[in-house]
Amino acid sequence: MARPSPDARLLHLDRQREQVLSHPLARGLQIAEVERFLASVPQRRFPSVVYADRGPLPLIQPRGGVPLFDDQHALTQALSGAGADFVPLTIDSCTRHNQYDTAMQLLRRSEEEGRSLLNGYPLVCHGHELTRQLYLGLDKPVSLRHGTPDARLLVELAIASGIAEIEGGGLCYCLPYSEGFPLDRALLYWQYVDRICALYSTPGRPIHRESFGPLSATLVPPVIAVVVQIIEALLAAEQGVKSFAVSFGQTGSFVQDVATARVLRRLARDALDSHGFADVQLRLVYHQWMGQFPMQRDRAAALIAGSALVAGVIGADKVVVKTVDEALGVPSAAVNAEAVNNVRYVLRSFAVPDGVDSPAITAEAALIESESRAVLDAIYGLSGEMFWESVYRAFQNGWIDLPFSPHVDNANRLTSMRDATQAIRILDPGSVPISATDAATERKLLESRSDRGDKTYRQMLADITLMA
Amino acid sequence: MNGAVQAASPPRPRVVIGVIGDDIHTVGNRIMQLALQESGCEVFNLRTRNRPEHFCQAALEVNADALFISSLNGEGEYWCADFRQRLQAMGLGHVLLYVGGNVVVGNRPEAEVVALFKRYGFDRVYHQRPDIAAAITDLFEDLQRGKTQS
Repeated sequence: MARPSPDARLLHLDRQREQVLSHPLARGLQIAEVERFLASVPQRRFPSVVYADRGPLPLIQPRGGVPLFDDQHALTQALSGAGADFVPLTIDSCTRHNQYDTAMQLLRRSEEEGRSLLNGYPLVCHGHELTRQLYLGLDKPVSLRHGTPDARLLVELAIASGIAEIEGGGLCYCLPYSEGFPLDRALLYWQYVDRICALYSTPGRPIHRESFGPLSATLVPPVIAVVVQIIEALLAAEQGVKSFAVSFGQTGSFVQDVATARVLRRLARDALDSHGFADVQLRLVYHQWMGQFPMQRDRAAALIAGSALVAGVIGADKVVVKTVDEALGVPSAAVNAEAVNNVRYVLRSFAVPDGVDSPAITAEAALIESESRAVLDAIYGLSGEMFWESVYRAFQNGWIDLPFSPHVDNANRLTSMRDATQAIRILDPGSVPISATDAATERKLLESRSDRGDKTYRQMLADITLMA
Repeated sequence: MNGAVQAASPPRPRVVIGVIGDDIHTVGNRIMQLALQESGCEVFNLRTRNRPEHFCQAALEVNADALFISSLNGEGEYWCADFRQRLQAMGLGHVLLYVGGNVVVGNRPEAEVVALFKRYGFDRVYHQRPDIAAAITDLFEDLQRGKTQS
């Protein structure tokens, strides 16, 4: 049995690190030089500093990454100028799959042809010395957004570039993003990432980690998001990370969003405290609708405004925003800046200092909490020398089962659909160890649905394209 | 049902589907599989992260009538240019070619995108079209006509 423990440290880190940093694209990175550099960047580049003195409203982070340095620089300036509290650096998909040669070719072609053939910034190709230049004079945190199962080199270079927020985790950046990357390896490689984040941290300047709760962003029941978030908070804490954010994506049901936020915040704090990690600072991040977006801009704007309101109601520490061009591809800097402005406008205009409550929210929260506790307790009880091994075993058992995961080893036995209130319900839990009572409650709530009997793909499409 | 009617019923269309490039968007792929199956096709799903050669090899192996290539992240433009030539080189010039999703990076006029992929030798191009049913209707029409336009 392997409960999370402060004594569980990654073995042989130095040898692994030597190997990772011997890659030619590490360009002779020296750890001591990076430490000196981190001590010299403005303190407000560190999320914990910015979180500590945030006002009553959630902080705002847009998304954005483009291949060319000059364009990324312009995007950074535009977003920062528009009032983004966090500046994003979204990485292209070739780099996410460690295909640096392909990324390099597409970067060269993008440079030659003056158009984007990559869907993000190829940080490993550009290198840390150049990437530092993106952020000269910037006094707000940069957030690394990617989706990389093996992010060891990428994160080494990101931190060396002065990026102090690293999104991801062994589960959340493997199961939704990779078809075949072995999950045990992803978990181990993310222990490496967590460990170097901890090693580069100093008390006033911790490297902040954030998990990605939206996962496949497709009919993910709250219990799965909550369990994955708590596991990743614990795994990071084991390696010495002191500043961590759990997150989740807008579900499509107001009641379910409020309940999920409440349970996630409470159970994550509880799990950290009860395993010896009371000194870890915990934040809650809310992602605006991550599913298919409307093509019509006025609809997209309405969706963005509505979900900004939810971010305020749940008291999120940060909201990651979408743009009106979400359905159309990578948004322009101007459209992104507009999104930041509009979300701030909604947050300010409809501030909800004390949140909301209702019997429906209480009942939903009780259900999510009961399910999440059952799954977590089952995982804590699994054998293994380290907690990550128990997590891996839980995945093999189908106890962690993500709907619409592209991963070959995902059980795909859990099925979910929306009920009449649009809340995501578990039709069949598969092997996920929620109680029989909770499973029955979920099924009963689904009976309210009116179009049962239609073709499966149409029902699912209707659920998935709820907002489109 | 008598034997004569059974013999007259057409064979199920054989369709290879998958996502091109380093693109891991799987939701549309899963729904497309369900929709084609529910419409009576036999589906061979290569899932995510495919290169053109994977599609062409699969077309040969399963004797496909059509290839449904998806691109959500826009890498389609880079990978799709020589699909038709590859098929012809393998003696598979008759295979219908469809592409759909967000097939180029950035925001470009649909007509321009359609023209580009038609030049690549695609029979049908569905750029940012959410309606799966249209593609399936087109497929059955194209199969009836029996020939690719390329």
